[in-house]
Amino acid sequence: MAEQLLQQILNWITLGSIYALIAVGFSLLFGVLNIIHFSHGDVALIAPFLALALVQTFAAALGAAATPGTMLLAVALAIALTGLLGILLDFLVIQRFRNAPAMMALVATVALGIVLRELIRHLFPNGSNPHAVPRLVQGSIDAFGVTVPLFNLVAIAVSVLCVAGLFVLLGNTRLGLHIKAVSQDRDAARLLSIAPGKIFRITFFIASAVGAVGGLFFAGYAGIVRFDFSIDVGLIGFSAAVVGGLGSMPGAIIGSLVIAGLDTLVQATVPNGAAYRLVFVFLLVIGVLVFRPAGLFGRTVVEKV
Amino acid sequence: MTDMTVPARATLGTASGLALVALTEVAGAAFLRQFLLVDDWRAVVGLLALFGGALVAMQRLPAIEAGIEQAFGANRRFAVLLGVAIVLAFPFVLQNSSYALHLLIIAQLYAVLALALNFQLGSANIPNFATGASYGIGAYASALLALHWDVSFWLALPASAVVATIFGFLLGIPSMRTRDSYLALVTIAFGVVVHQLLNNLEFTGGPNGLVGIPAPELFGHSFASPLVIFGHSLPPQANFYYLSALLVGVAILFAGRLHHSRIGLAWNALRADELAARCQGINTTWYKVLAFAVDAFLAGFAGTIYAFYVGFISPDNFTFLVSVTIMTMVIAGGMDNTLGVIVGAFLLTLLPEKLRAFSDYRILFFGITVIAFLMIRPQGIFPQRLRRYGG
Repeated sequence: MAEQLLQQILNWITLGSIYALIAVGFSLLFGVLNIIHFSHGDVALIAPFLALALVQTFAAALGAAATPGTMLLAVALAIALTGLLGILLDFLVIQRFRNAPAMMALVATVALGIVLRELIRHLFPNGSNPHAVPRLVQGSIDAFGVTVPLFNLVAIAVSVLCVAGLFVLLGNTRLGLHIKAVSQDRDAARLLSIAPGKIFRITFFIASAVGAVGGLFFAGYAGIVRFDFSIDVGLIGFSAAVVGGLGSMPGAIIGSLVIAGLDTLVQATVPNGAAYRLVFVFLLVIGVLVFRPAGLFGRTVVEKV
Repeated sequence: MTDMTVPARATLGTASGLALVALTEVAGAAFLRQFLLVDDWRAVVGLLALFGGALVAMQRLPAIEAGIEQAFGANRRFAVLLGVAIVLAFPFVLQNSSYALHLLIIAQLYAVLALALNFQLGSANIPNFATGASYGIGAYASALLALHWDVSFWLALPASAVVATIFGFLLGIPSMRTRDSYLALVTIAFGVVVHQLLNNLEFTGGPNGLVGIPAPELFGHSFASPLVIFGHSLPPQANFYYLSALLVGVAILFAGRLHHSRIGLAWNALRADELAARCQGINTTWYKVLAFAVDAFLAGFAGTIYAFYVGFISPDNFTFLVSVTIMTMVIAGGMDNTLGVIVGAFLLTLLPEKLRAFSDYRILFFGITVIAFLMIRPQGIFPQRLRRYGG
């Protein structure tokens, strides 16, 4: 019983840290740009496809099976490319909606997510089918009678590092100061010779790259990836950010843990829970929004005349 | 002399106005007929170019548009009567093609759904990604009534609309507290929850859906049998064509009445500025919830007709993508413009069917259409008109 409990706690923390990588991107982008980038989940799940394609390209170029070294290189490249993709999407589509009503940006990014998914489906070989994703880290250790796959530990550790790095970047560097300045007042930041456009692009790169790490771990954790996984991932990541309070980074992390906790609990206790997990997660989201519309840690903005 | 010319010109104006109305409606119907019957993709592209050319001409020469609009305004009764006559006569000119009739039925159901969403997205600017879910609730409610309790179609139709409306109200409740992106998330979540429940619950048949929904009957005439009018036999689809045409007519009437009522005005006020609307004493919460309920009500009707028409429904008919498709129709057609929304629904239903070579890319096409319209022409094909007061 105790082992089972420990096993579930491990699943919970792993899932929570993977969700957090996606959710912080939503929160960061909302905080800085004041728009919802609904296709963020789709951007994040481009990364595993890029990595798979790169591994195959390297293997073909070297004429040998992929070694851990080339796989690591492919993963790093995939993360960087996904970050650049974020900038590209901002350049092509999202920046046109900076001064438009919030609803237009929202609908446009929902459509953008559909376009990204369909592009994977049509451009990736056998894009409609699930693809096996090998785990970079194999093996496991035994602790307290529980078999802990090293993959879970790496996922948790990397997530903590990424999020900690993000906090340091935002809180302790000049760039972070600039990002915060732009998020608070675009025009005042411009007066202080901070170019908002540049900050937006950097924010898109950071959010998309961190999301890519999350997407890669998600695919590795599931063992497979399919073009439409990103619907659920995007919705869960966004839900986590909303439950925690959009714009709040600690909120996004707490929200991810709450949602991952419910997810794990439902799968472990409710019969046929895997089929119903999204139902429970979204009922929680609706409940939180009804009782705390700004999320658990969000500030309520009261509009005054 | 002058006394003579004024009435003479007025009658001439009426005659030319009647001719203009008749010409516009017949040309529109003829265009639709050609579009439904062509097979060659080159002909489809040609017809599209014609349509685009007409739109560009109208944009370049506002006088044409103003003239047509004025003619329709002056001869409303004639325009409506001729329109009804064309709709009634349309199946007779389709060379008994059941495929063309099928396309028309689906397009009309989507037109109703798009009109339903238009109350929210167009009139009140509330993003709702759950129209597909309301459509599904309507379809499942009526199918379950028919299969388990032998309820006839004519009873299931209002009953399922009521069920869908109740769910619409439920969905509207979070809208009291949330706005914009948060509200959008609630509607998306609602759609996913409905889809997952339909997919997993036992009594909805799970992923296999519900099979064997009986065809409706009216005065002993089964809708599954060919329709014989004046000795002319039409394919069985014609029954549903007339039924869905009636629903579109009701929806248009509904939309017009609502638009010109205090409710429509309140929705427009919400769109313009929610805070200002509240300061004017408009109960914003109530009108928002009402928009959800009206949307679900119409979508429920469309769902029922769909269920009884195809006789088989599964959760995959009512996914998030259906909601996005409906939203595409509203945005591309023109928000808060009834004609635009209907044109958008027809165009986006028929186009992917006609360009079969690209049917695999249908969803991609929808996504790109939405983005392109939002970036280049956010007001849609037919922009919303200025609200007219009084007559």
